[in-house]
Amino acid sequence: MYADYAYLIVALPVLAFLLCLFLGWNLPRGGGFITVLATLGAFIVSLGIFTETYPHEIVHQSMHWFANFNVGILIDPLALVMLLMVSFVVTLIHIYGNGYMNGDPGAARYFAEAALFSASMLGLVYADNLLQLFIFWELVGLCSYLLIGFWYRKPSAAAAAKKAFLTTRVGDVLFLAGIILLYNNLAALNLDLKAGEYLLQFPVIYAHITQIPADQLTLIALGLLGGAVGKSGQFPLHVWLPDAMEGPTTVSAMIHAATMVTAGVYLVARMFPLFYAAPYGLTAVAAVGAFTALFAATMGLTAFDIKRVLAFSTVSQLGFMMAGLGAGAAVGAMAVGVSMFHLIGHSFFKALLFLCAGSVIHAVNTNDLREMGGVGKYMKWTMYTMLIGSLSLAGFPLFTGFFTKDEIILIAYEYGTAINFLPYIFLVVAAILTAIYTFRMWFSVFTGKERSNYGKHESPWVMLGPLVILAVFAFGFGVATQSNFYSYLDSNFEHYDVDFAELSAIGGHALEEEHAAAEGEHAPAAEGEHGAEEEHSIPWYIHNLPILIAIGGILIAGLFYWDKIKKFDPSQATGDNDPLRRTLLKGYYQHEILTGWFAETVVYGTALICNMIDIKLVDGWLNWLSAWVMGFAQHVRKVQTGVVQNYVTALVLGVVVLVVVITLAMEVGLV
Amino acid sequence: MIPLELYILLASTMFTIGLYGLVTQKNGVKLMMCIELLLNSANINLVAFSAYQPNVNGQVFALFSIALAAAEAGVGFAILIALYRLYGTIDLDNINTMRW
Repeated sequence: MYADYAYLIVALPVLAFLLCLFLGWNLPRGGGFITVLATLGAFIVSLGIFTETYPHEIVHQSMHWFANFNVGILIDPLALVMLLMVSFVVTLIHIYGNGYMNGDPGAARYFAEAALFSASMLGLVYADNLLQLFIFWELVGLCSYLLIGFWYRKPSAAAAAKKAFLTTRVGDVLFLAGIILLYNNLAALNLDLKAGEYLLQFPVIYAHITQIPADQLTLIALGLLGGAVGKSGQFPLHVWLPDAMEGPTTVSAMIHAATMVTAGVYLVARMFPLFYAAPYGLTAVAAVGAFTALFAATMGLTAFDIKRVLAFSTVSQLGFMMAGLGAGAAVGAMAVGVSMFHLIGHSFFKALLFLCAGSVIHAVNTNDLREMGGVGKYMKWTMYTMLIGSLSLAGFPLFTGFFTKDEIILIAYEYGTAINFLPYIFLVVAAILTAIYTFRMWFSVFTGKERSNYGKHESPWVMLGPLVILAVFAFGFGVATQSNFYSYLDSNFEHYDVDFAELSAIGGHALEEEHAAAEGEHAPAAEGEHGAEEEHSIPWYIHNLPILIAIGGILIAGLFYWDKIKKFDPSQATGDNDPLRRTLLKGYYQHEILTGWFAETVVYGTALICNMIDIKLVDGWLNWLSAWVMGFAQHVRKVQTGVVQNYVTALVLGVVVLVVVITLAMEVGLV
Repeated sequence: MIPLELYILLASTMFTIGLYGLVTQKNGVKLMMCIELLLNSANINLVAFSAYQPNVNGQVFALFSIALAAAEAGVGFAILIALYRLYGTIDLDNINTMRW
């Protein structure tokens, strides 16, 4: 029954967008309650569909749009967990936003844009074809631009919005190129489609991957990966994400932690069979993800802005998810379950962390960790909920992050035994750093002495309520759903009869196939049984290493930043001129390289040369031609004397000449 | 019945007078009159041929031509009046500012 109302999941937030946009100015708190109700409605519908379809059904509705395209709704396990997570987290953030944005003159605009964002993200998740997904993908990008630049009078916010928009645009162009390539390849197959089937629909794509040439598959996969890299803030297109913290904290929590940036990971998960079949497809995903995880973690270690720490942490965790999907080259479709599990868990605890940070900033009125300290005395609720979020992010045993992140590290180990250990090593180091930077932040904010004279009060309950709910999920989600989640998501591609054995033959995963066979029919689409398999395929010390990592990392952070057990002074640990320290503080000189050198020298220089060529060569010959024509005309126009008699005379003479010529011609016999 | 040649002679005389006036005269109103002569000489031809070759097509064309001449005279005199108001003359030699 609920499935009939699936369209409401997008329609309700769109309605809220229109209401807030046009009527919000006259409503209390900018009409925020409308947005909350709309996303709550979307969540209820999603939940209804979940109870109806769990665990063996999918919902697929579709109608003709134009030419070879359709619009449709496809709700399979993969989409459903995303729908539930997005609508749930976004609802909580909107409730929190009611408190956080209270009194802001642009509150109505905020809630309208936030509602539009919710609608586009939900639409992206359950689109049934790539074109529709791309449209919502762009809408999400637009909302991101609008919300980052929400305080558009602030130059840094306007610049950050522009940066986010332009950087993701690079990825979007690659994504579009991938879609077009895929479409061309599918069209070239001359498929005999049944009524109601369209080329870019996911089931159709899944069914025909094997018929596309392998080299084309790799190109398509790289194009799609480009889009995912842009949206999910992976290296080298990660630069926009830390800057995006210029928007309100709720925006950071909603867009840049919990939902939007996961779209890239979702895209790779959605197209997982294609990546799996493409030679080097998943290898590239694993490489990008693992590198980003470590790279961003090191920068998170040195940031002083509490939101930037969290932003780098987001980039890093998205790297984990990507690497988890990439590890699918070794473990098959199970990687989707593992990666999505981290994605969902991460949205809970990262949304929680951001909202806690927002609560702190709301009270303290500064973003700078160096000016905080001892806040815990005044904000007990915020302190404990943030502690839960931090423990979860650090991967402390029994917290959500422990189950989700460590599973990724484990399958990265399997990837290591099968293909290459580099991603595994990167991820382990990144995991240690995660624990360290998370608790560096927590200790700096809540413990120690007050380092400046800041506002001392707890936030209102409209803000604390969502924190508590999210904290419950950040703690309990992992342990409660772990076993069911994997089997549910692992079954995702069975609905489309995707044969991973066949795909792996194209993708050149033969080596891992043997490896998997040796383990006992483990790899493709292992349903729930993989838990038992892992026990004897992975040594115990690898299995338990993540626990050590989490606790060790927290201890290291404590030694530097917790006044009770403090042993080292962070500013004395390395010299001021230590090159490593300077590199980290400067963020690997990214600004210098990307903006200072690449943008201002290389791109600007190229632009100058192009401009010269355009003016001198392309425009040049055209201008010369037109100048010549003009000069010629200057002479010829004198014929127009302006005296009517001359014209008449010319006319008559012309007629006479014509008559004479024609008569002569007739005489001679030419005509 | 008057022979056809006489009609043609009359028409060509009128045409020549009109053409002569058009080429030599400077006065705008005279030019308009010359144009009327040209048009009407053509009309005479049309009607004459139509009468000699029993067929009303020529007369129909003549009617069209008269209607056209009326419209042309209307526009032409309107322009001349506007010119007169602007320059105080309808001598076309003085009105050549739009040539280049």
